Amino acid sequence: MLLIILISVAVIVFFAGNTVRIVHFLRMPTPLRWELYPIPKGPRARQRYGGSYFEQSDWWTKSHDTGRAGELAFMAKEILLLRSVWENFRGLWLWSWLLHWGLYFYLLTTVVAILAAVLRAGSFRLLHLAVLYGSPLACSLGVAGSLGLLVMRSLHPRLRGYTTRSSVFNLTLLGAAFVTGLLSLSDGAGLDGLVRVLLRSPASLGHYGKISQAHLALVAFFLAYFPFTHMTHAYMKYFTWHGVRWNDSPAIRDPQAAMRLAASLQREVTWAATHIAAGGPAKWSEVASDPGGRGAGRA
Amino acid sequence: MRKIGDIASRTGQLTQVHNLAPLPPPYDRVEDLPARKKLKQEVLDRIDTSLDGFSALGLSRPQTPEEERKFIARFLSGLEKLLSADNNWAFLEPLNLSLDHCARCQSCVEACPIYTASGHDEVYRPTFRNEVFRRLVNQYHKSGGRALAWLKGEDIELNAATLCRLLESAYRCTLCRRCAQACPMGVDNALLTREIRKLFSMEMGIAPKEIHDKGSMLQLRTGSSTGMNARAVRDNVAFLDEEIRDQTGLTIETPWDKEGADVLLIHNAGEILAWPENPMAFAIILEAAGISWTMSSDLAGYDSVNYGLWYDDAQFARVAVRQAEAARKLKVKKIVLGECGHGHKASMVTADRLLCGDLNVPRESALVLLRDIVISGRLTLDPSRNDFPVTLHDPCNMVRMMGIVEPQREILRKICPQFREMTPHGVDNYCCGGGSGFALMSGYNFADWRFSVAGRMKLKQILNAFADCPSPAVKKYVCAPCSNCKGQFRDLFQYYGVWEKSGILYGGLAELIVNAMADIRQPFIKWEFH
Ligand code: SF4
Ligand code: SF4
Repeated sequence: MLLIILISVAVIVFFAGNTVRIVHFLRMPTPLRWELYPIPKGPRARQRYGGSYFEQSDWWTKSHDTGRAGELAFMAKEILLLRSVWENFRGLWLWSWLLHWGLYFYLLTTVVAILAAVLRAGSFRLLHLAVLYGSPLACSLGVAGSLGLLVMRSLHPRLRGYTTRSSVFNLTLLGAAFVTGLLSLSDGAGLDGLVRVLLRSPASLGHYGKISQAHLALVAFFLAYFPFTHMTHAYMKYFTWHGVRWNDSPAIRDPQAAMRLAASLQREVTWAATHIAAGGPAKWSEVASDPGGRGAGRA
Repeated sequence: MRKIGDIASRTGQLTQVHNLAPLPPPYDRVEDLPARKKLKQEVLDRIDTSLDGFSALGLSRPQTPEEERKFIARFLSGLEKLLSADNNWAFLEPLNLSLDHCARCQSCVEACPIYTASGHDEVYRPTFRNEVFRRLVNQYHKSGGRALAWLKGEDIELNAATLCRLLESAYRCTLCRRCAQACPMGVDNALLTREIRKLFSMEMGIAPKEIHDKGSMLQLRTGSSTGMNARAVRDNVAFLDEEIRDQTGLTIETPWDKEGADVLLIHNAGEILAWPENPMAFAIILEAAGISWTMSSDLAGYDSVNYGLWYDDAQFARVAVRQAEAARKLKVKKIVLGECGHGHKASMVTADRLLCGDLNVPRESALVLLRDIVISGRLTLDPSRNDFPVTLHDPCNMVRMMGIVEPQREILRKICPQFREMTPHGVDNYCCGGGSGFALMSGYNFADWRFSVAGRMKLKQILNAFADCPSPAVKKYVCAPCSNCKGQFRDLFQYYGVWEKSGILYGGLAELIVNAMADIRQPFIKWEFH
């Protein structure tokens, strides 16, 4: 029963925590532009060398590619192949790739298992087979990845000084979840069995062995812990890449820009340096239109 | 190996610059280099050099516990503001994104020219200062942060030494954003570094004199960070018009404040004083191509620099607005930014969402206009006049941060038969080492650091680009279409004796075009180092 409560709470925390996080960022004021090239937009030839619409004369009179195809293709390589790590830290890549694919497969097989359970898919043998093989594959990749990363993080001179207790904790947690996931195959009915029981007759969870229960407890803990860690990069990349790094959308084309700016300029500035608002708090609009050049006060 | 927590050590210097990446001969002979500047004991007693023995800011450490307490309190108050929407709406989102999502994977570190040039000194890792900053934010800003930091073993003592070193280290990064390109998470260490600088400037009033007092403050007072007021700039440009007549026989009168012109040209005003051949070349090209253009004598309307981009949002906004107002007043069709990288980015990108309605006068790069003129055939160009080895420096702000990569190359391929690329180049280029204000900063002993560390990878690249013709008898040209980069090259080349040892000159792009103009009698480029 305790396990059921733990899992239920974890799922709620997971969804609530991630939602709060996303909403928190969505509600932040529109920042100034801070893009970085290459940006996967515009003609292919230009993308290849990292060029932008600024290369055209009178660029504001020309149409721009605002499509997502380039971004999606780029992100697919980033997510599936961990391209940046491959290019910038080859030694880390294999272990990181294994761990990420372990997580992807685990997520996928869980979804398939849920589907099979919901569809009562005795006859959907394919789904059953996918989970049967997908789950040990996911856990094996995950075990190899987290172990490899733990070793790398402890020994590699580039990483050692930046390996914190939380990095060790995170990897150990993931490693333990994958190990128990693997062991639970011989202990119970495997991932599809666990998912089926959880969805259909949670009360009988107690019939499963200790390892399976430990696995579920670890996964539950991970779910509840996840929204509060940097691992949210899994989806926050949308903000960091699409929202900032690739956001080259010019204000001249954006009818909403003036409204957003007007709201921001009404905010009060309380920065204390004398050159900002020497006469006390002021609005940003006043600070920006102030001739400046006054205020000694440098420390 | 240095640990993150060492930043708080109350005594001693965190690192010493000694294990530098090797340079090719003859630049490998340390004994040929100027001796490093030795600071007098009285100066050392006064300023903080506990990061690496250098000082960019001449920061004085608090002397009494009371002073230290106040110093820390001001920092913490600044931290609150930095993380508030009211005070930092302009960068709050990217700041939080970069604070929260670093996986500490270190994929970014090898991309950093400072870190690699320093022989992988821990203190210059792109992640070092930002990990310190991240931990300070977590520990002192977030609720329950102290307990959590202690539990995670990530607590850092917040004392004067921590803060002095943190701020100095924010001026050991050129904001070139190579590291940001390498980060799989989209974390931007340069942005974090700028935010640290900003906190100290906007809350505590601490910034390098060269970019604040003698930079943005001076610009807002007089119209230009050079100190030239409207009258002085017009006089100086009139003198350049005469110079054009003397040198080329062409009669050009630079148009000032011409309402309704197609183009408002805004140079980095430093060019007019330090590299007058560049504004002269622009005047010659624009007149020869029949462009309707003008310059503005309004406050900041004749100086494209905006140093706030590197350290202070209020100063940034003030200058950006002044420049746009100058253009609006003249009712020009567009602003064309001269050869100044950070001026490009400040005006065309970062200020974009600050300028709404009729203040958002369209802004274009001079490289694009020059490319159009050259390719259109409006000038008679003779490439054989530029038949010497030429390589191209990519200013980070124009290239990595704006994607203006090809226009300058199209020009060089057309007019410079011996053009060759550096490795790496384009959006992967190395910073000249003068980025983010460094080209202007030489106080105390900072110049030694700028030349031996910050400019090292660039120098290596340039030498490699000309490896097939190393003799000083073969005159070579580094085309650097950015005023700050040229400032760095001038000082860097002088420090290493590059002109004498290798015959390498630096200069702008417009000069190469005029040098190739068949109807200009004498070569426009004078092979004199200055
Ligand atoms: S900034 Fe990016 S690349 Fe560098 S350590 Fe953090 S996550 Fe890794
Ligand atoms: S911005 Fe450039 S100089 Fe600064 S840490 Fe990153 S790579 Fe290094």
